[in-house]
Amino acid sequence: MKSTIDIDVIRERLVEITGRDYVTIRETCLVVRPANTEQVSALMEFANGKRLRVEVCGAGTKREWGNAVRPSILLETSRMNTVREHTWQDLTCTVEAGCTWQAMQATLAQHGQFVALDALWPDRGTIGGILATNDSGSLRLKYGSLRDLVIGVTLVLADGTIARSGGKVVKNVAGYDLHKLMIGAYGTLGVLTEITFRLHSIPRHTESFSYLSPTSEPLGEMLLSLLDSQLNTQAVQLRSARNSFSLDVQLSALPEVIEQQSLPLNAMAKKFGLERVDSSNEVWSARQSFFEGTSAFIAKGTMLPSQIAKTVSGIRRLGGDSVTQASGVMIAGIPSDQEVGLLALRCRLEEEGGSLTILRNPSVNSVDRWGKLPDSIDLMRRIKYQFDPNGILNPGRFLGGI
Amino acid sequence: MSYASESLEVQKLSEEALRELAAAVGADGIIVELSQRQTYECDGLTALRTIPSAVLLPRSREEVQAIVGVCARHHIPFVARGAGTGLSGGALPAAGGIVLSFARMNRILAVDLTNQRVTVEPGVINTHVTQRVASAGYFYAPDPSSQTVCTIGGNVAENAGGAHCLKYGFTTTHVLALEVVLPTGELIHFGSVAPDAPGYDLTGVFVGSEGTLGVVTAITLRIVKRPEEVQVLLAAYDTIAAAGQTVSDIIAASILPAAMEIMDRLSIEAAEVSVHPNYPVCEALLLVELDGSRAEVDLQMQQVRDLCRNNGAWEDRLAQSATERMLVWKGRKAAFAAAGRLAPNYIVQDGVIPRTKLPIILEEIAVMAAATGLRVTNVFHAGDGNLHPIVLYDASIPGQEATAVDLSIRILHRCVDHGGSITGEHGVGKEKQQSMGYMYTEPDMDTMQLVRCAFDPDNLANPDKLFPRPRLCGEKSGPYHLHPLEAAGVAEYF
Repeated sequence: MKSTIDIDVIRERLVEITGRDYVTIRETCLVVRPANTEQVSALMEFANGKRLRVEVCGAGTKREWGNAVRPSILLETSRMNTVREHTWQDLTCTVEAGCTWQAMQATLAQHGQFVALDALWPDRGTIGGILATNDSGSLRLKYGSLRDLVIGVTLVLADGTIARSGGKVVKNVAGYDLHKLMIGAYGTLGVLTEITFRLHSIPRHTESFSYLSPTSEPLGEMLLSLLDSQLNTQAVQLRSARNSFSLDVQLSALPEVIEQQSLPLNAMAKKFGLERVDSSNEVWSARQSFFEGTSAFIAKGTMLPSQIAKTVSGIRRLGGDSVTQASGVMIAGIPSDQEVGLLALRCRLEEEGGSLTILRNPSVNSVDRWGKLPDSIDLMRRIKYQFDPNGILNPGRFLGGI
Repeated sequence: MSYASESLEVQKLSEEALRELAAAVGADGIIVELSQRQTYECDGLTALRTIPSAVLLPRSREEVQAIVGVCARHHIPFVARGAGTGLSGGALPAAGGIVLSFARMNRILAVDLTNQRVTVEPGVINTHVTQRVASAGYFYAPDPSSQTVCTIGGNVAENAGGAHCLKYGFTTTHVLALEVVLPTGELIHFGSVAPDAPGYDLTGVFVGSEGTLGVVTAITLRIVKRPEEVQVLLAAYDTIAAAGQTVSDIIAASILPAAMEIMDRLSIEAAEVSVHPNYPVCEALLLVELDGSRAEVDLQMQQVRDLCRNNGAWEDRLAQSATERMLVWKGRKAAFAAAGRLAPNYIVQDGVIPRTKLPIILEEIAVMAAATGLRVTNVFHAGDGNLHPIVLYDASIPGQEATAVDLSIRILHRCVDHGGSITGEHGVGKEKQQSMGYMYTEPDMDTMQLVRCAFDPDNLANPDKLFPRPRLCGEKSGPYHLHPLEAAGVAEYF
């Protein structure tokens, strides 16, 4: 049944829930900024009853990821931005979804702790958005991804139900891990309002090393050797930059140990004929630079570690550049006229168990964002249907039209 | 909650269903003889028993799929079983249901050392994965105490932990991909050898779902490079509180040990009699394992020893060889079984608390135990606040079993009161399903049931576990009919 209610009627109801200051109109869409979980619940219950499409948004840094949604209501989490609790003795914290990554980390740093993940645009990106897109950076090698760091969430379902999953202890197997289902779901199953993380101590001593090569193969060999080594590597990435390739390595250990381990590390590089160059901590946010241009495809690739060097070369042959973590997650920028090469690369990655997701299509050209649908797609649709039978939450954003 | 000690033998399968099941696996793949079926009536939670209507021993994914297909057509509940070592009744058969035993699906299918991945069938024993890759310097990290017998399939169902998950994470951390037969009979794949497969993280929600979402037929695991150096320290204390404080101090010093375990006096004595680990005789024993590069472990171990002494440890002894380390761990891992030397019967519990609540909860457990007249011994994964209080009792004394069950449940509820969980690694199963309602609200559990309805709309996969009450997933098309269970008031519509 098609809803034909007046926008002013909707607006009045939203105002009742959040107060007049927090409801605005942007083009044809009502923007609402709830203050807490209860307001999100009231908003969703109303939207669900009226079958209004809701898009959930943090700072909007990754709003272009996934298929575009044309919402009636844009639910912004920016007012839910506090660190609720930092029980540093227990190495856990609970944060509201609209808090920026950086603001959270600044609070945790007061006790020398952090959520051990380096996200894109930490100064603006919100915790909710980072979870929804399952972002991860170089620290994944040592600390795992969000599914290893998130231990509990509060979420609001499409019908307004408030549910909790997990808890505030690291070890907990009671019930289903709904929070894992929410991570990377692009907001299609529920609105995250509070998140509990397990924390780690900020490493006190790190040192970055970079090695250059005109081809990616020896760097790929060294990457595999590092994975097979007992060195204290916390991050390893293979990066292409103009006409050369770089392997960046970060050691994290006591200063004496770093000094000791730099010897076998450099010896390993020498064995592969690599040249050591100056490095810095900046290399670890290199993947962010791809998003600064406007005309290219930007893609997330996933692959086995043994496929990294080959894929990095493949991207270079298309005239693109990439940064790939040793975990096998790549961010790549590819010229907008390389649609065919891009699709061929996707095919190869898929055959080898990986994937290529388009995060941004250039304005002049576009390809399907998600690639081959998995054989579990029907099950995913059934899950979506159970959580959001009216299809009001970020409809169509996810793969297979979910 | 009370345990029924006699076994139930109820509904039988129809002739037709039996014929179809036999056809699915061949005559030597099905057990129907009562005395043989009895072997499968319980798992490690022996107080609950139900004899299955048949036991199936598939050899391949195709046979598993065929069996589940028969179950779907005939509406037969099923439960998968590995070694049956679970402690919460996860592999307890449903009345009138069948058991799918994975004893014959125990092959390691692929080893990819370059990418640090191993693919196995669910019946592979946990330690066999490590044995297979040890010569290349790798190991499979999750190490439940039963690891020499328990299977990867069971580990996946329960999201098994172990002493070393403090540093290395749980089963879920190490599972990359699954091949699953859904309760509808569909064979599909979750995750991938590469990270972040597009779509919902089905692997993440499946691991730890206690057999209620389907049956796995293959698992791709991540293996880990063995550290250069491993050192195990034993520190003896006069009080558990002092040992607990040391744990907090070690964490505060930014050291992340591979494991930190505490045992109390009763457990130490029982372990000593049982496997002679040569522990110091004390009120509380703290066991700290550090691993990593040699230089780092040496430096950190010195810090740890200082922290131990500062907290009153009167002995701190470093295991001097790999053999000695093994013996130390053998003693710890034998703790549950050793409890059998302390009393005719015992209940192992599995509560979790925020680490800082350790001294309070131990005090409360002591008070609660004293009030019942029962003894409770404690071993715990202190690093992550996972307690295993062992309630000792004698079932031959009338009423004592009920008292013991009640005490163990009350201990769990105190864990929840302190912001913890009713289970850290053993699962909810049949044992703790009523306590789920103490930890989660109705909407929380209703939301979890949405997942169940998507995977298993007919409620056939290990039914009546995990949640306090069955829920029915309504038909999504056609007119509404009252479900017979609903009409009988057994379940509510969902």
